[in-house]
Parts: sequence; structure tokens; C-alpha cells
Amino acid sequence: MSDHPTEHGPSRTPVPMPTSASWSDPHMQPAARHPAFVERLIGFTFVVGLLSFCAFGAAYWQNWAPWALGLTLGAGMLFVGTGITAWGKYLMPRGPFVEERHVLQSSTQDVEAFTNALVERGATPVKRRKVLGGILGAGMGVFGIVLAFPLLRSLGPLPKNTLATTDWKAGSYLVDQSGNRISQYAYAVGSILTVFPEGWEDQDRGQAVDQTILVHLEAEGPIKGMPAGRSTWTPAGYVAYSKICTHAGCPVGLFERELGLLICPCHQSMFKLAEGAIPIFGPAPRPLPQLPLSIDADGYLYASAGYDQPVGPGYWERP
Amino acid sequence: MTARLGLRLPGRTKKERKPLGPYGRVGKAVEELDERLGIAKGGKTFLDKIFPDHWSFMLGEIALYTFVILLATGVFLTLYYVPSSALTIYNGPYKPLDGQLVSQAFASTMDLSFTVRAGLLMRQMHHWACDIFVGAIVLHMARVFFTGAFRKPRELNWTIGITMLILSILNGFIGYSLPDDVISGTGIRIAYSILLSIPVVGSYLAFFLFGGNFPGTSIIPRFYVLHVLIIPAVLAGLLGAHLFLLVRQKHTQFPGPGKTERNVVGSPMYPVFMAKTTGFLFMISGVVALLATFFQVNPIWQFGQYRASIISYAVQPDWYMGWLDGALRVMPSWEFVGWGHTIPFNVFLPAIIFPGIIFNICYAWPAIERRYTKDNLLHNLLDRPRDRPKRTAAGAAMLGLLSTLFVASATDVLANFFKISLNTVLVSMRVLTVIVPVIAYFLTYKICKELQAVPGAGKRKVVNVVRMTEDGEYVATPVAPPQELADHELDAEPVPELIEEDAPVGAVAAAAAARGRPGNVGTSSVRTVPR
Amino acid sequence: MDPSPHSGVRHVIGAAVLGVTVVLWLLSFAGAAGAATHKGSPPKVEKQVIPPPHPFYDQFNSGTANSSKRIFGKNGQLLVYGDTDVMYYLPQVLVKDKTPVALWSLGEQLYAQNCEACHGVDEDGVPPAGTPAVIYPNLVGLGPATYDFWIESGRMPAASTPQTQPMRRPARLNQLQALAISDFLNTKSPQCPFCYAASPLIPNVQDLATANLSDGAALFALNCAACHTITGDGDALAYSTFAPSLRDVPATQVAEALRTGPGDMPVFTGNLTDAQLRDVVAYVTEKIEHPQNPGGLGLGGIGPVAEGFIGLALGVGLLALVGFWIGDRS
Repeated sequence: MSDHPTEHGPSRTPVPMPTSASWSDPHMQPAARHPAFVERLIGFTFVVGLLSFCAFGAAYWQNWAPWALGLTLGAGMLFVGTGITAWGKYLMPRGPFVEERHVLQSSTQDVEAFTNALVERGATPVKRRKVLGGILGAGMGVFGIVLAFPLLRSLGPLPKNTLATTDWKAGSYLVDQSGNRISQYAYAVGSILTVFPEGWEDQDRGQAVDQTILVHLEAEGPIKGMPAGRSTWTPAGYVAYSKICTHAGCPVGLFERELGLLICPCHQSMFKLAEGAIPIFGPAPRPLPQLPLSIDADGYLYASAGYDQPVGPGYWERP
Repeated sequence: MTARLGLRLPGRTKKERKPLGPYGRVGKAVEELDERLGIAKGGKTFLDKIFPDHWSFMLGEIALYTFVILLATGVFLTLYYVPSSALTIYNGPYKPLDGQLVSQAFASTMDLSFTVRAGLLMRQMHHWACDIFVGAIVLHMARVFFTGAFRKPRELNWTIGITMLILSILNGFIGYSLPDDVISGTGIRIAYSILLSIPVVGSYLAFFLFGGNFPGTSIIPRFYVLHVLIIPAVLAGLLGAHLFLLVRQKHTQFPGPGKTERNVVGSPMYPVFMAKTTGFLFMISGVVALLATFFQVNPIWQFGQYRASIISYAVQPDWYMGWLDGALRVMPSWEFVGWGHTIPFNVFLPAIIFPGIIFNICYAWPAIERRYTKDNLLHNLLDRPRDRPKRTAAGAAMLGLLSTLFVASATDVLANFFKISLNTVLVSMRVLTVIVPVIAYFLTYKICKELQAVPGAGKRKVVNVVRMTEDGEYVATPVAPPQELADHELDAEPVPELIEEDAPVGAVAAAAAARGRPGNVGTSSVRTVPR
Repeated sequence: MDPSPHSGVRHVIGAAVLGVTVVLWLLSFAGAAGAATHKGSPPKVEKQVIPPPHPFYDQFNSGTANSSKRIFGKNGQLLVYGDTDVMYYLPQVLVKDKTPVALWSLGEQLYAQNCEACHGVDEDGVPPAGTPAVIYPNLVGLGPATYDFWIESGRMPAASTPQTQPMRRPARLNQLQALAISDFLNTKSPQCPFCYAASPLIPNVQDLATANLSDGAALFALNCAACHTITGDGDALAYSTFAPSLRDVPATQVAEALRTGPGDMPVFTGNLTDAQLRDVVAYVTEKIEHPQNPGGLGLGGIGPVAEGFIGLALGVGLLALVGFWIGDRS
């Protein structure tokens, strides 16, 4: 505010209000010196816009294709808008015009009076009764907390250990999306499919938590190179991992057969299939949990145990 | 009726209608309204309100009017969209999904796209308007930042603006999630994991928002209420406050002839600005409608219903969430495990902490700058970016960082497009994320300094006509700029009360001379609009 | 909703080739023996016992040799099998100037000209020049569908030593030549009745028009979208491998790829019955290759990346220009 203090000195004499501006005023757009042409142009845009709106009505009435609706509506808007803008830009005084900026700041007296009222008026009746105020404040606080808790709490159940558990149990048969059990003979080497524990394949939870990726990796099992203690988890060359990425929970559905990699399509974490799905690239921090497999007498695959750890991305309560 | 019954109501004698004043019906209406509401004084001030003419002041208007389009098309969509996860069989004209078990949300969006008249157009306009809306906000914010328009007294409006940007991004993401298709469902899944990653309270937050384990059936109706009611209401309120503060504090303006800290130079609200801005509203609607005509957006019928076990490659969020997705991709795989707890830094840092830092820097910037420059003055004239090299460089660094992360969210698409290794692209993006902001800072700083060193750089040049004389000598003659350009250097005038079509040429100038107008061009000759 | 006339023609040609060759083969037992004198004796193929019905085949009707219709060659070779959904076949004889010519002999010449330099005289991936710099694939036992897919999609013969993944390009050998090489390589492979699941004959998908597109779309989303994207546009995979675009793949090659898993692609056998195979092929050839874009240009099917670009560059850019017109420059 103090940049140009002298510009508007008190000595400035008020100037009478100008009564008119005309087309020939240099403040008008150059185009306005030939208004007839501009007027005709603007009239043209209005007519085209109007016709476009009519066409839009017809298109809507006749239920034409979306592009016909959009074209007519868009063209109408664009032409009318261009016309109005051109009107404002070429046929109206262009300026520059000026407006005085008023000081927003109140006078010292006003500020003084306001502050005084705020501080002094409340001093005696309010401030002196600190205990009362304290009790009231505490009460409001309790009210707020009491109000917030049921509001929040009623939004959903507590997590308990549902994040840590799946529906895979020892003996759960692997089934595909349609509920068919998986025969070890049915899948050539290099096959991949998404499996669920029997009975959960069409459930919300089965899809979100239990989804497991089954790969027929080698012709003969068990697969060599698996981490210690998992030698019996891969019968007949089949191996199964949780399909939920340990990074952000996307389904790890991308299998590269020759590279032997599982990849998460969301953020490109790469997991080495034959080595317990250890992450070798990308933001995933942990291997995908592995499901121990067994094969029954008829050749069907089942889980010999559930997952030994929570599946999916990390969270605070995860041990 | 009364006449036939021979009755006569008191005061119903037919009398001469009072003649209208010189302003006709409008004058009468103003009079009546003013008696009740006292609108005349404020109304006149409003009509005289000056809007700066510089084109960069139009960016905020793009955001404002796309918001209007979003509201209008959004209301249309709510008439048909069903916010429910309940399953139903899709039966519709799109055969590849016919007979599939889908959610009502998805089915109703399919109906909007294929059955409802103009439904697809409205859906696409809504989506394109959103893409443009956030883009315009970011550009507007960049303009405000680089020209220093956020400085005292406008810090509060800067804060409101950032809050609106955050809410817009959030609402865009939520709206993107509502159709319940494969790609949006994946986005919700990632959002769930992001909530889970928050230490201590993460799993509770996730369960409260989703009403239990992912995906549940609560998230679609809850997102719907947020998307169509709560966030738009808050946005509209903040928008009102934003515009109120704008009117109360008046516009900033670039320095120039006749422009001072104590005035605003530009076009008056009525009729010039009103015409221009109405025209702009129509043109923005037209552009959005034409985009929706020629470019298909979010074809959910090609994606199909979301199921938690289905994933598509090349899943990206809408562009304004891209930088967050990029941050998730370039983040190394750090996770803390110990004492029976897990903190997934690989998600928590890029998805919660990082945007928190970015937005808090934005919020705090006016205070940071005030402390750093010790400048506590009121500012109505804008800075040229080159004159504040450190601020400009800092803004460029921020934009560089966010753009790099934005590009990083498309690593797979880039690798596929240029047929290079995906791994190479990602590693390069990790490196670039670190160096691009630094390079951007120093490069911008250097450019600003160089521009400062060249006086008049970027100003309109004097035209020199070079002629060869008969003796073979070359002579350069400076030529005055053409009339159209010279017009731009005119002095600011008060708003005229009347536009006369037939005023003779030079009449105004003559009148001004008669009034003793200081006519020497070049000096400041600003006058107030008397009220 | 109708299959495009283009793919219809392709199916008619496929069916015609199948029908003509099978009939010719049946009519020309004697001729085949005569034509085989071209270069020494015909390849030695061990006499095989017709595979006994196996419960596995009945349960999983997925391109196996236990289909309702089977035709065996005189050596016990399975030449045609399949049913109303997919017919797997391997043509044997070409009639040239009214003289039947065994395709395998034609294929032998073509193999020597086009393939031997890398894959070797024994088709085992050891080129004649000695120790290979790169490991070339052993071709023995891969099955005719594999050979046919690689040749007809233009990936083989490769222009030079393929250091990276070969990409689809205009085929250098025509369909007949591809069949001939497939025939020749198949004679080199040991006959294994249980291998047809993994190394099948060339699948000819029947009657695509009656396929269930809805099932095809669901199967595509579950099995294919993770690599090829939900719009079939393809994307970059790990370490310079790519999931190719599915926008220009003939029906037969889609089926071949699903059944054999070329390169890094998984093999789809047990989880796709022949009927489901036909549904997926129909969805790919109709809706992936000719996507329904009622909302305007499809933007290459790469979703928000392209949309964001259009929205920012065209939308915001255009409107900023409009603002530039409305406003002032100084």
C-alpha cells in the first residue's frame, strides 16, 4: 500500500464524470469502427447457434446417435458463445477503465472499539467464572467425543483378525471360478488359473481375500529351488500363491511363462515363481504367501494347510 | 364477477396509471427492490466492478464454469444412476455383457451409456468437464503462485483455493469409482490398501469407510453420498467464499500504465465483462460437449463389472491422481516389520505422507515467503515471475517433481509405446524423480536471472526498417508501432455512463480537453469513478 | 453384433481348406505313397495304438484327442479330431497339377530354406554352424498349432537373430507353406497320444457367429486382461517382453495361442473347454478387434493416459487459447 503514496494525494481535484463514450473513441476496439461487418458476423454465429440448438432438439426427439447429439449441442454452445464474446469484445467499450480500490482496513478507532468490546465486555461476567467455563468446556468435549464415537463406530465392524485370516483350511479343495475342482491331469505345463477354496468361489470374501493363483510350473513335482521347508508344497509341479499383491492389494494375475515371473499389473512388482515368489523388482516388500498343495487319490488338488501368514498388503497389526 | 353482482370493492376505482419514470419498467423494478432491499448502491458498485483484461485471469473462470457444467450434467446422471452394490442381471443392448451378473451401479451406468437418451453424452461431458476442471484449477493456481497473487492480503483465498483443489481431486477419484467397473474397482482396492497402511488406526479407518472387509457392499452408496452431496456442498460453499473474497479484496493486476496498488484497471462488469464471461461459459460448454462428441472417455462396457479377482493391465487413475500412482510406482519396497507390527512405508510414504507434505507446503507457502522476505505489506500489483527468481524456481521444481511422477504413472504405457524395457523405464523414473526438481530449480533460477539482466526482454520491440540508400548505405529507421498496438498503451478511463453511437469523431477527446483532462500520454492519468 | 465380413471370409477359407484337404487325403491313399518318393523314403513314424478312452478326456473336453470325431492316418497318426466347437486338423496332401503332393515333402524344402540356419538340421535348436550364440528353441514335439502360429503370425522366420521377443508382422510364408512346414515338423515329432492337450493340431474354430460373447467377455477379463489389458491393446511386461496387441489377430491364431502358449504366454487347456475357447475367440475377433465406440474415438484403448492427454492438451489448451482471445495480452 505504501508503494506509491504520492499518487493520490489529497490535493487531487475531483474530475467530473464523463458522460459518454462513442464508437470513434480510441478506447473502443478497432473492429468497432466498422460495426456493420462485426454485427453481421455476430448475427451469423447467433443464427447458426440457434439452428444447432434446433437440430439438437430434433436429434434428441429422434433419439439419434450420441455423436449427433453432442455435435449439435456443442456447435450451438460454441457459436452462441463466440457471438456473445465477440459482442463484448468488439462492440463494447474496451477500456482500460479504472476503479478505485478501497482500503479494507478499518480505522484505528473502530479496531480499538471492537477489541475493547471483545476483551473488556466479557471480562467481568465470563472470565471471572473460570470454573463454570471449564465445566462447560469439558461437557462439550465429552459431548463431542460421545457423538463422534458411535458415529464412527457404527460405520463398520472392528477389524478383529479378519485381515489376518482367509477361508483356506487344511483339506480345502481348489476350485475354479465355476466351482469345478482342479485335476492335476487337466492342465498342461505352463497353465495358470485363479482358484478359490471350495464353497467360497462366488462369495464376496472369497474373491477378495481367498483368491489364489495356481500355476502348473513343471511337469514333475516337487519344484526344485523352493525355500526351505516347502519341499512338499508343490506336488506334480503345481504351485499356488495368494493372488493379492503384498504392495497395494491388486490381483497378481500376470504370469510370464518363460521368465517364470508373476507380475502385478498395477505397479509392476515382479515375483519369482520358482523361488517362493520372492519380489525381485518393484515396490512389493514381501513374497506372496504360498499355499501348500496336496493331491488326493483321484488327482484333485487340495490345500494341505491354510496360509501361514496374512495375505495382501501390510498394515499395523500384521505381525 | 363483482361488477355483475353490483358490488364494489373499496379502492378499486379505476385511476390513471402513474407514468413510469425515465427508466421505464426497469427503473420501477429497481425502485421497488431498493425500497425493500436497498440494492441500488451496491448494485451500481457491482456493475462498475472492474475485471482485469489479462488472459491469465480467465483460467479461474474455466474452472468455475466447468464446475457449473459438472453440477448440471451431474444432476442429470443422478436421475438414472443407482448407487447400489446389489447384484442384478444385465440385460441391455450391449451383447457381450448380456446376462452377466453385475452390480446395480454398473448396470445403471450401462443403461446411462446405451439406453438413456443423451445419457452417454452427459456421462462423457461430466467426465471431460472434470478432467478440464482440475486442469484449470492447477493452471489458475500456478498463475496465482508465479505472480505472487497469494501474498497479503489474499492468503486466506489461497488457502481456500488449495482446499478446493484437494476436494476436487478427491471427488474426481470418488466419481471415477462409482460405475463399479474393472478399472475403478482396482482403484478402490488400492485406496483400501492405502488406508490400511496408516500406522495404528489404518485398519480401523479402512473398516469404517468400507463397512468391513474389502470390498463389501457399503462403499458404493457411501461414495455416492460423498460425491453428489457432501463434497459438492463443501466445494460450493468454499467457491462462494472464494468469490466473495475476490469481490471484497478486488482483483490483483499486472503492473502497467495507469495501474497502481490503489486501483484496478480493466473492463467493467456491465456490460463488457458480463458479455465476455457469458460468452466464455457457452464456449466452455461447447468445447466440453464437442470433446464428449469426438473422444470417448471411460468406456466401461469394454471393461466389464469389477470382481476382486479380475485385473487389467494398464490401469491408471485419471490424470489428476496420476502423480500419486506414479509415487506408488517409483517408491522402493521399504517395509518396517518389528515388535509385532508392520508399517508399510512403501505405501504409507508415497500415498499419505507425500501428498500431505506437498499440500502443506502449498498451504504454508505465503507464511514461508513472508518470513523469508520479511515482507508484510499489502500487495495488489503482481510480480513478474522473473523478478522473484527463487519463488519461480521453487514452483518450477514442484511442478517438475509432480510432472515426473505423473509420467511415472504411465511407465508401462511408455515402455510399450517406445518398445523399451519396463524395468529400465521404472529405474529411470526413480532417478528422474530425484534430479528433475533440482535441475528445474537451477535452470529456472538461471533463466530468471538472465531475463532480469536483459532490460525490456519480453517487451514489445520497436520496429526498425532497414533501407539501402542510393549510395549503397544501409539506414535503419525506427517505425512507430501500428495503430492497433498503440491502442494498448492508452490510459485508463473511468467507466462511461453512456455509449453514443453517433458521437462525432473526436468528440470525447474534445470533451476531455474541455474538462481539463491531463492528456499527456505516458504519465499516469487515472481518475476515479465518482459515485 | 455380426461378425465382420472379413473374418467370415477367413472362416470360410479355413473351413474350405480343411474340407478339401481331408477329402483329398481320403481319396488319395495310393497317390500319397507315389508322391512320397520325392526324397528317399517317407519319414519313419512308429505305428501307434489308438489311444484308449481316458476319463480325463471325457471330463475335460479341451482340445483333446478323445473328441467325438477322430480320423487317423494309416500310421495311426491322429489327423482330425474335435467337435462342433473346434475342429483340430492337420492337412497332409496338396494336389498340384492333378498330382497329389505330400505336404511334408514341400515342408522339408521350406524348412531347409527358411528355418534350418538357426533351428538346425535335427530341428533341435542346434544350428549347422556349431555352437549357437543364442539358445534357439528345440522344435521337436511342439505340435502343429505351435509351428503354424509362429509362421502365420509373421514372427517366424525371423529377419535376423532375434535378441528380443519377435513381434507380429506380415507373414513371410503363406498359409499353405506354414501348413507344409508344420506337417514336416510334425513327422519329426514322436507321436504321443496324451500330448494333444499341450501340443495340439491346428484348431479351426467352428461357427463363430453362434458363440456366447458374454461368456467370452467374462473369460477374457479373468484370463487375458492381466497381460493384454482389458481392451486387448497389449502392454510392456518385464525385461523387454511385451504382451502384443490383439487388435489384428485372426481367429485361428487366437485359438492356437491359447492352446499352445507361445513365448511367455501361459497355456490355456484345462480351464478352457472347446466351447469356451470358441467364446473367447469370438469375443477377441469381434469386440476386441472391432470395439464398440459409441462415444467417439476410442483413443487406442489405453484408458486414462490418453484421456488425460486429450483433456489437458485439447480441453484445457483450447480453452486457454479461447481465454487468450477473450482477454488481453498486456
